[in-house]
Amino acid sequence: MSQEMKSQCSDEYHSSDEDMDEDINNYYEDMGDDNDVNEIQEDDPESFEFELLKVEDVERLLNESVETLCKAINVAPSLAKLLLHMQKWLSTDVIARYRQDSSKLLRDSRLAPTNVVQVCNSPFTTCPVCLQRCPAEIMSGLTCGHRFCNDCWQQHFAVQIQTAVSTGIECMFKDCCVLVPEDFVLQIVTNPKIRDKYQEFCFRDYVNSHPELRFCPGPNCSTVIRATERKAKRVVCKECNTCFCFRCGIDYHAPTDCDTIKKWLTKCADDSETANYISAHTKDCPKCHVCIEKNGGCNHMQCSKCKHDFCWMCLGDWKTHGSEYYECSRYKENPNIANESAHAQAREALKKYLFYFERWENHAKSLQLEEQTLDNIKKRIEEKVMNNSGTWIDWQYLLDAAFLLKKCRYTLQYTYPYAYYLDKGPRKSLFEYQQAQLEAEVENLSWKVERAEITDRGDLENQMDIAEKRRLTLVRDFLEL
Amino acid sequence: MELSDLAKADINDVVRNINVEETNILKWNGTLFPKDPPYNKGAFKISIEFPSEYPFKPPKITFKTKIYHPNIDEKGQVCLPIINAENWKPATKTEQVLQALAALIDRPEPEHPLRADLAEEYTKDKKKFMKAAEDYTKKYAEKRPAD
Repeated sequence: MSQEMKSQCSDEYHSSDEDMDEDINNYYEDMGDDNDVNEIQEDDPESFEFELLKVEDVERLLNESVETLCKAINVAPSLAKLLLHMQKWLSTDVIARYRQDSSKLLRDSRLAPTNVVQVCNSPFTTCPVCLQRCPAEIMSGLTCGHRFCNDCWQQHFAVQIQTAVSTGIECMFKDCCVLVPEDFVLQIVTNPKIRDKYQEFCFRDYVNSHPELRFCPGPNCSTVIRATERKAKRVVCKECNTCFCFRCGIDYHAPTDCDTIKKWLTKCADDSETANYISAHTKDCPKCHVCIEKNGGCNHMQCSKCKHDFCWMCLGDWKTHGSEYYECSRYKENPNIANESAHAQAREALKKYLFYFERWENHAKSLQLEEQTLDNIKKRIEEKVMNNSGTWIDWQYLLDAAFLLKKCRYTLQYTYPYAYYLDKGPRKSLFEYQQAQLEAEVENLSWKVERAEITDRGDLENQMDIAEKRRLTLVRDFLEL
Repeated sequence: MELSDLAKADINDVVRNINVEETNILKWNGTLFPKDPPYNKGAFKISIEFPSEYPFKPPKITFKTKIYHPNIDEKGQVCLPIINAENWKPATKTEQVLQALAALIDRPEPEHPLRADLAEEYTKDKKKFMKAAEDYTKKYAEKRPAD
């Protein structure tokens, strides 16, 4: 199961030279994971099996595939490698197709030409690129029969590799798209820098064409993730802690699907100017009008001056945000919009977008603020342990609560693009109902986490349980794979 | 080198007066004489610039004469697949590039335009396009020598 795999991975990394701090961090993360596994083992809609590979592991894996293919169909390793790359590493499929019609497969994979040119056997020929007469022994070519002098090949490869082309390098002849295999390039290119670059780019191409592999998108992280199914599931890189979707490689986005989140992010980028004005950090208290800065993740605000409880999003009284009638996450469309003028419709469309954008953006900001809460909790626990008020283990539940809060708010953030693109109907009503429920419980949890020391442990753990159940219900019902 | 080949080639009736700039041998100038209407009412000056890595990188063609064409923008830049960096083949001859250019002028490709407005006019209202292109040619293009 995925749990085993994860602990296995972290063991592996623990053995390396990591400092104490990171060990603790990993321990905390594992705690968070243990938590949900204990509660819902069988039907966690987000569980996913994957492993983390280092560059050497991937090279070994690819070489094994190449060797198997070489043995099965008796071709040169560098040809087999390119063949696998072109056919998305589907070894069994490649073997079957090769046995059925080898020349067709080679043509389809651009490893053989559609029509072969007669090779001229005279001792001197003119290189079609530099137009110089060269002795035959310094001319070479591919299966297509187009021959060029090695100097021209070398310059061609250098220019191509400079522009990051590697597995896609083709024959130099006009309209000939036969690909150049790795050993041919390496025979001709002597500059060690260019050779290294070429091999690096080839490796990148192989990983990208392999359906089971994906590079971790984390900055400067060379980890490769391997999973047997290319699903839109959550992957966490233990090296750099980046959390992303295995299918599309961007930030994990359940319950929204890959296409929708891409559409949403593009829209947000396009409309960034329009949306900028709502990105302010301060709002006025709706009752006493004192200026309030939001410095925590929780949207349940209490004015420090007049003690008025209100909602940061809609500025309404928090009392109306009781869990059953939480309305703040729901956009109320003008029912008569179809009959309005184009101008009014455009205004309505913008209003609708801004409504969802504002909530999306607000949760993203809250997540950042909750990072600070987490740091504070860690510090406070250390202080408590130092002062002999309870052991480290006694205070673990506070960290668990903070981690769970982050996880729930993350999902909540990604419910807004989903809701924005969802068509009106019973499914949208159900979604918005569950979203509102989750919203209410997350805010309750957030409120309690920020006031953890004065909240009863049982009360907090109960709240954690409710919030996570709401989150799982929503993900289970709406995560489409 | 290639210039002498070019002089012999039968491209001569379409592109004439090719000469190398005195200060820069990597820059050639020439005049294009399209065969078909609406551009056959005039001649168009073009320049071909070769990068120092030529022929491993493609040459660049620019129109010096204004032209009303979906694949050529106001700055004279041409969208010609054969000299696109991704498609470029070192063994391609300049003659083949010029042939491809002449073909593109006579048969515009509105599917990948540089000027979307002209491409739309070309597909939707061919007559209007032809008239406008002809007027434009008469107004801005070089005069053809009487032949």
